[in-house]
Amino acid sequence: MSVSDERVRNLIAQEAADWFVANRAGLTFKERHTFATWINASPLHVEEYLALSAIACDLRAACEDSQGDLEGLVARARQDEVSPIQPLWQRLGERVRGAGSNLWPAPAFALAVFALLSVGLMWWHRTSSEHPGGPDQIAALHFETAHGEQRTYRLADHSLVHLNTDSALTVRYDRKERLVELTSGEAEFAVAHEPGRPFRVVAGSVEARVIGTEFDVRRASDSTIVTVVEGRVAVGASSSANPSAFVQLAAGQQIRVAGDLPDPPLAVDPRKATAWLHRQIVFEREPLERVAGEFNRYTAKPIEITTPGLRNLEISGVFATDDTEAFLAFLRSLEGVRVEVTATQIRVSQN
Amino acid sequence: MPETKKTLVERLFAEHGGSLQAFLFRRVRKHPDAAELAQEVYVRMLRVPDIESVRNPEAYLYTVASNLAKEHARHERRDGDVVNVDDPLVQEQLAELPSYAGQLDAQERIKRLREVLHQLSPKCQAAVVLQYWHGLSYEEIGLRLGVSTNMVKKYLSQALVHCRRRMSRLG
Repeated sequence: MSVSDERVRNLIAQEAADWFVANRAGLTFKERHTFATWINASPLHVEEYLALSAIACDLRAACEDSQGDLEGLVARARQDEVSPIQPLWQRLGERVRGAGSNLWPAPAFALAVFALLSVGLMWWHRTSSEHPGGPDQIAALHFETAHGEQRTYRLADHSLVHLNTDSALTVRYDRKERLVELTSGEAEFAVAHEPGRPFRVVAGSVEARVIGTEFDVRRASDSTIVTVVEGRVAVGASSSANPSAFVQLAAGQQIRVAGDLPDPPLAVDPRKATAWLHRQIVFEREPLERVAGEFNRYTAKPIEITTPGLRNLEISGVFATDDTEAFLAFLRSLEGVRVEVTATQIRVSQN
Repeated sequence: MPETKKTLVERLFAEHGGSLQAFLFRRVRKHPDAAELAQEVYVRMLRVPDIESVRNPEAYLYTVASNLAKEHARHERRDGDVVNVDDPLVQEQLAELPSYAGQLDAQERIKRLREVLHQLSPKCQAAVVLQYWHGLSYEEIGLRLGVSTNMVKKYLSQALVHCRRRMSRLG
């Protein structure tokens, strides 16, 4: 199964599970209609739904040993602040890899082969003020993820959106264009090819416009970063009065825009920017301060570096975003580093 | 154990003597067969002129699937008559019957599912136990866990996807 097949497969499993859960509560007339349409859309939907039903049938028996300590289980569940989101697809590397080890586990290369869509002309596009909701406009859809949560959505045109932790976006499709507004966080897009209907992503002051490609947009507090995995994307400040100020990015390029000022594009490994799709974070000789900041996007307890001298300690490795413990174990293994876990935070200091 | 509406699926499966479930499990593991069954179910569902008006599309889906599973079982038994008893296919069908071997298979499956459940986060696990064992509604589970009904649905949905993924790697 290719990576893109697996992604679609996982997405269908997720849709099937959502429907299965919804069916237990009973569907409204409208939902029933949507569910029937969904089931009738593909034999894969039927297959996943039936497979989940068979599993659900065994769940009651499988719960039998847990019911004895129900109070304990409920108490643990109430205490557990971390959003218990399971990875959308198989984790590619769950173990911590220390500095100097092979940075990329072999399966990670599979990410690079995600189905390539042909890409047409990209062009700069200015502010979004010329997009009033006309009669052709489809109602806006809003998607969001909680802290630590990651989720994949399939849009009406079969484009895929992978939302990272703490992210929100609004999708508005009409006949002329596909408009996505990233209001916070980070999203990766695999855009279905539609020459007549460009796909625009607006992230604050920055806009990326494509016809069919795969790229990542991250809104940080002070800047926005666009990384192109496949195809080409035009990026610029949407408030700029000068349309020639746009920058054309090719696959493997990344650009950081702070305010209206884009930095020169950098050549990057796009697998690194999109490692979160596999619940991974990748660091290559990066200061501990940045690494901790990256982890704090996912963890319930923030990591704080209490010894200033440690902030620039260089870290390399591949870590799982949902396994802070493994990262802490890695830190503890470093000479002179002490890790303390308190009720509210994780303190990293020098011995 | 209170009989609640959450056991609808269980009841539907039970009405068909477990054959659908056994059939599905066998086919969940053997991808080409699962795809084949799904394809057949799909084609039959498509024949319904106005599926959206079916009062309970889910129950309808199970009925179509069970009928197919029964047809398959009949078909395979016919084939089995002329095939060597040592044939692995025949052995597989024998395991499907409510025999000791079939029981073992189900026990093994549930044991494995139990392990998979333990891999889930406490919130997901608690939601599953409260729903599948205690038969609580989503609202009730939300109150017990101190989360919204929507989050309860998310936890349960994630739990199912996780189980599905881990269980399908069995075969």
